[in-house]
Amino acid sequence: MTQNPSIPLSDLQPGDQGEVIQVQAQGQIRQRLLEMGFIRGARLRVEKLAPLGDPMELVIKGYHLSLRRDESACILVHRVA
Amino acid sequence: MSLTIALAGNPNCGKTTLFNALTGARHHVGNWPGVTVERRSGAFEQDGLSLEVVDLPGTYSLAARSEDERVAAQFLASPEVDLVLNVLDASNLERNLYLSTQLLELGKPVAFVLNMVDDAENRGVHIDVAALETLLGGPVIPTVGNRAQGIPELKALLAVLARGESTRCRRITVDYGHDIEGELAKLETEICRDEKLEATMPPRWLALQLLENNAEAKRRVAESHASEAISQQLTKSFAFLEPHLGADGATLIAERRYGFAHGLVKEVATAPDEGRTPTARLDAVLTHRWLGIPIFVGILALVYSVSFILGKIPQDWIAEGFKALSDFAGAHLPAGELTSLLVDGVIPGVSAVIVFVPVIMILMGCIAFLEDTGYMARAAFIMDRLMHVMGLHGKSFIPLIMGSGCNVPAIQAARTIESRQDRLITILVTPLVSCSARLQVYIVIAGTFFTPFKAALAIIAMHFLGLGLAVLMGRVLRSALFAGPSSPFVMELPPYRLPVLKATLIHMWEKGSVFLTRAGTTIFAGATLIWFLSRYPGIANQEWTAQYQEQRQAVAALKLPGAEEEDRLRALQLAHESRIVNTSLAARLGQKASPLLRPILDPDHKRAEAWKDVIALTAGFVAKEIVVSTMAVIHQASDEPKPGERLSPLQVSLRDNSGLSPLTALAFMVFTLIYTPCLGTVAMIRREAGSWGWAGFTIAYGLVLGWGLAWVTVAAGRALGFA
Repeated sequence: MTQNPSIPLSDLQPGDQGEVIQVQAQGQIRQRLLEMGFIRGARLRVEKLAPLGDPMELVIKGYHLSLRRDESACILVHRVA
Repeated sequence: MSLTIALAGNPNCGKTTLFNALTGARHHVGNWPGVTVERRSGAFEQDGLSLEVVDLPGTYSLAARSEDERVAAQFLASPEVDLVLNVLDASNLERNLYLSTQLLELGKPVAFVLNMVDDAENRGVHIDVAALETLLGGPVIPTVGNRAQGIPELKALLAVLARGESTRCRRITVDYGHDIEGELAKLETEICRDEKLEATMPPRWLALQLLENNAEAKRRVAESHASEAISQQLTKSFAFLEPHLGADGATLIAERRYGFAHGLVKEVATAPDEGRTPTARLDAVLTHRWLGIPIFVGILALVYSVSFILGKIPQDWIAEGFKALSDFAGAHLPAGELTSLLVDGVIPGVSAVIVFVPVIMILMGCIAFLEDTGYMARAAFIMDRLMHVMGLHGKSFIPLIMGSGCNVPAIQAARTIESRQDRLITILVTPLVSCSARLQVYIVIAGTFFTPFKAALAIIAMHFLGLGLAVLMGRVLRSALFAGPSSPFVMELPPYRLPVLKATLIHMWEKGSVFLTRAGTTIFAGATLIWFLSRYPGIANQEWTAQYQEQRQAVAALKLPGAEEEDRLRALQLAHESRIVNTSLAARLGQKASPLLRPILDPDHKRAEAWKDVIALTAGFVAKEIVVSTMAVIHQASDEPKPGERLSPLQVSLRDNSGLSPLTALAFMVFTLIYTPCLGTVAMIRREAGSWGWAGFTIAYGLVLGWGLAWVTVAAGRALGFA
């Protein structure tokens, strides 16, 4: 199986799907992201960007969540077709 | 016999609606000790038992990092709690179960409510309740909170559980796998060396938090005499687990918890239907790239109009009612200290409190409605980029805008911001937003010293200045007070739901009554103090009172036509009041303090009446609109224009006698905008920020900033050649 390269979540475009590899943030943000479901292997889909371009809306674990670029840049994902 | 049930669950799981359904309208609303998180409790009777329900703040976790989580975790661990009732959103089961895995570790009996089963069914998710009960090891009651479905069953179950007659609560915990369980056991052994530590919370729960690198848990351990042994074991556990399992403790534990939740959901629930949900269809419009912002602005305009234009109607009734009461009392009671206390102190004081209630209730009702429908999260989503640049949160936008109507409910509206830092900053900068009461001062001053066009321009400039300063102070406070990373913006966009009218009404009532009882006393006390300062010692001068009575009788003896007599009497009254106020403690204070304001309001040191500004501004501390009525008294000129004239007698007097120039008048407006929040706002800051310190800080920085900017106005104006 060929793995797609790992990219930050912030690089995904609306409509793209991804799979979480790792949360690179530290401390409080890291714990919060883990609790919200950003664990290894979790599937997510980017829904849209806010009208001003940030934050992004995505679906993970069946619910909708919004993240700022600051946070989404430190989550590594594979793009999934 | 009385038992305490803690209601725990994620935000947006319908917990509060369920709480209302369980306890009816019998609530007690307060704050948790030491923090500004609302504590709601209520009780209900079932089968002769009295059951106390405490609604915990909605949290995704018990990791005790935010104020909300700390409150929830502490209360759940306390011996006060007999039973935990975990509310689960059936349409979002997996993420909701993450919290359940933590609740199960607390060692208390846990019962579950599967709420909003109708939403789940609509999405094609069918849940096998019996299987869920088995896997969770506790009774599960399906409910639809907003239609009170399942509530009688739930009450009956809670009574049975409370009596301890049920054996349905078994202890189930997540299995973290051989390696982690091994390390947990070792940590537990070390923790149990300290009996006191062991008694405060289950050792396994503490061990888990340590492996997650939780700061609060580490702090607890640091206080223990076994701390060295525990830390050593923790270092060893990390050294073993990380290379062995390829991730740190926090990741591993979160993975196992989600593993448990995921497995459970697969076992008991069917997968949701493919296709767009109603929420997705609504969001396609409401958070649309081009339509999102115009729609948001429209909704905001609607909320603003309903609150401040519609809300102004009952507000005017209240103000007029109290004015009539005070006039009536003034006309029928003998002039003197007690009458003045009643007419100029107590009645306006009570009025200053009650007048806020309609606006607070309406605005809070609107905000609760937006919050409960799920739109508030979208509003934050839409505005966050802009607000983030300003060092604030997307949810700060609504309080700031509402501040231009009235700062008091705007500060209350900041409750919707979860992060304490963001909330505090929003609360502290909201008073800079120019409110409608300050507008009345601008109208009088600008109308006196500028042409109508320039006056309008100056007034608009004040509003922009206020907003600009709020933004600037937001950035300054963020970097000065909360250095370090800002709180993460990880916000759920919950499904849209139709709110329950009853819940909104209860919420409005709570906000109104909390304001009356908590902020009301402060406002009332402050108003009375200002009355005292501005009336003594003159009000106690028997001679003056006698003279005033004689003059009145002399006018009455003239038997003038009704209207003319009234005018004369009013002029006498104004003269009498003016005499009292202009010799009062406040006036003496004004004379002493006027050098402080000289650089901004009297740069050439030519104004004989500069001290009068100080009295007016001091009185404005009660409420900004009082600046105008106080000026009318101290300048002995009515603030109501005679028919056919553009300027009121007060404005004429200001123009001809006060010595203010257009430039210093502008400086006066700038200073009025910033110098201090009114008493109502101060009382609300004290309540919402949780300490007098923050309220004092807001007054202090306002005075300094206001003085500074007024000075800049004068200096820049003079440099540009304006007088």
